[in-house]
Amino acid sequence: MIKKVLSYKMPQNLIFLVNVMALLLLYFYKDGFDKFILTSGILLTFIIYISNFMLLKTSSGDHYIFLIMTMLVSIGIIMIYRINPSYGFRQITWFGIGIITFFLFYTVTKNIRGLEKWTKVYVVLSMALFLSTLIFGVRIKGAINWIKIGGLSFQPAEIIKILFVFFLASYYVDREKMNHPYIFLGVVYGYIGFLFIQRDLGTAMIFYFVFITILYVFEEERKLIYYNLGGAVIIGVLSYFLVNHVRVRVITWIDPWRYIDNKGYQITQSLFAIGSGGFFGTGIGLGHPEFIPEVHTDFIFSAICEEMGIFGGIGVILLFLIFLYRGFKIALNQQHQFFKIVAIGMTAMLGFQAFIIIAGVIKMIPLTGVTLPFVSYGGSSLVSSFAALGILQVASEDIYLEQEEENG
Amino acid sequence: MFNLLSLIFRYLFILIIYLFILGIIRLIYLDIKSMSNVMNHYPYLKLINRKDSLPFKIKEVYTLEDTITIGRKKENNVAINDPYISNQHVQITLDEGEVFIEDLDSANGTYLNGDRIVDVFKLKNGDRIKFGQVEFLYVSNEVCL
Repeated sequence: MIKKVLSYKMPQNLIFLVNVMALLLLYFYKDGFDKFILTSGILLTFIIYISNFMLLKTSSGDHYIFLIMTMLVSIGIIMIYRINPSYGFRQITWFGIGIITFFLFYTVTKNIRGLEKWTKVYVVLSMALFLSTLIFGVRIKGAINWIKIGGLSFQPAEIIKILFVFFLASYYVDREKMNHPYIFLGVVYGYIGFLFIQRDLGTAMIFYFVFITILYVFEEERKLIYYNLGGAVIIGVLSYFLVNHVRVRVITWIDPWRYIDNKGYQITQSLFAIGSGGFFGTGIGLGHPEFIPEVHTDFIFSAICEEMGIFGGIGVILLFLIFLYRGFKIALNQQHQFFKIVAIGMTAMLGFQAFIIIAGVIKMIPLTGVTLPFVSYGGSSLVSSFAALGILQVASEDIYLEQEEENG
Repeated sequence: MFNLLSLIFRYLFILIIYLFILGIIRLIYLDIKSMSNVMNHYPYLKLINRKDSLPFKIKEVYTLEDTITIGRKKENNVAINDPYISNQHVQITLDEGEVFIEDLDSANGTYLNGDRIVDVFKLKNGDRIKFGQVEFLYVSNEVCL
């Protein structure tokens, strides 16, 4: 029995096991019997099992991406719960909403035909969202990228991300729609400019990387790619000298130890945390990840490294790598041009997001505040990642071409 | 109590995460392997055209495990939505280890190595079969036949 549960041949069981173990562990945490832990843990395990089962029944496409994602979410929830139980409980609620979003986006994207024709709709919608962020936006932690409606606050950039990928894909399906490639480039830089105004540098970076990836794969005029890369370097250098926000990030990246008392505090604490973890970590609940500011969102990876060790951290990176592999595989197998580009876009988006924040907290590149997809605490981020996953799930299935129907 | 448990569990968690990764990689490996296995046991048709040059859905490889018909209608075993292909275009028959091709009175005909076929023909390794806009290469796996 134990052998069967432990067997690597059934990855679903392993996720189940992780959750049960975490439940047991958190049950003893701070020696308080907490009904919350019990209900939320059972809820979580239940949601994961049911949704995996449902997906196997409904989708003929790829089943690995969803499994990988549930593992990442499980690790994330364990860490968040350990840092702050009330956040952990909220994260489980968001996970439930995320699963609903996943199936919602899955059915909607699957059943609507002609998504590739709505280029202008995507642009107008995103611009409207950008403008409303500028007008109604609330400044939280240096960036104006939140909108508050009633008690709920969300980041419009998370929705725009998906619209942006759709926009790029619809452009490359039929290039004639935009009269000139420079109009297309203008729109793309409009997006990045808006993000820059909001000082959401991390998201701006993600947009730019996704754009360059799709440009590199699908642009026939190769010169454009070099122009764009050259332009990016110029913008990067200029913003270093002109924008204070950017300069601070670069300075603390080059030498955080000189500013350990203020600007560099976060990154140095993160490095201490990773360092104190060692190979196998301190054990969950025995480290001090709470010394890092914002540990439950941007710095969750440092917390994982501290308490689950370098091996745990490498495990998370490996999970993302397998996810990327599956994403590219889906894109290669997809015949429908629009969904091919969407698959590459969504994979690149999640992959680059993970890279930017993981590389940021280990001081490989300058730190920019984005969330680690599926792992970090945060409603908007989790829900939008799930939406992206739902669309990727559609892309992994066979989609009958429209031309085919016309011919038949 | 908690400390002890946590110390043990940290190894277990890492072990399980890696087992999970191993499990996923194994499933992916089986996926790829089963695809290449089929190709080694049966004769198959391989598409010669560049797949992305054709404006309809088509696979690179069609294995011939049983007698199949090819045509534009969905009822065929292999439905190819090429306007130059008839509703029921061509039939490929497996009979006692030998493979025969037969044109089913198609409008635009079937060509075997450049000649239009009117009767049943036996296929041999390396034959080129052309109908509509598509051209296939016939590959027989002699070992198993």
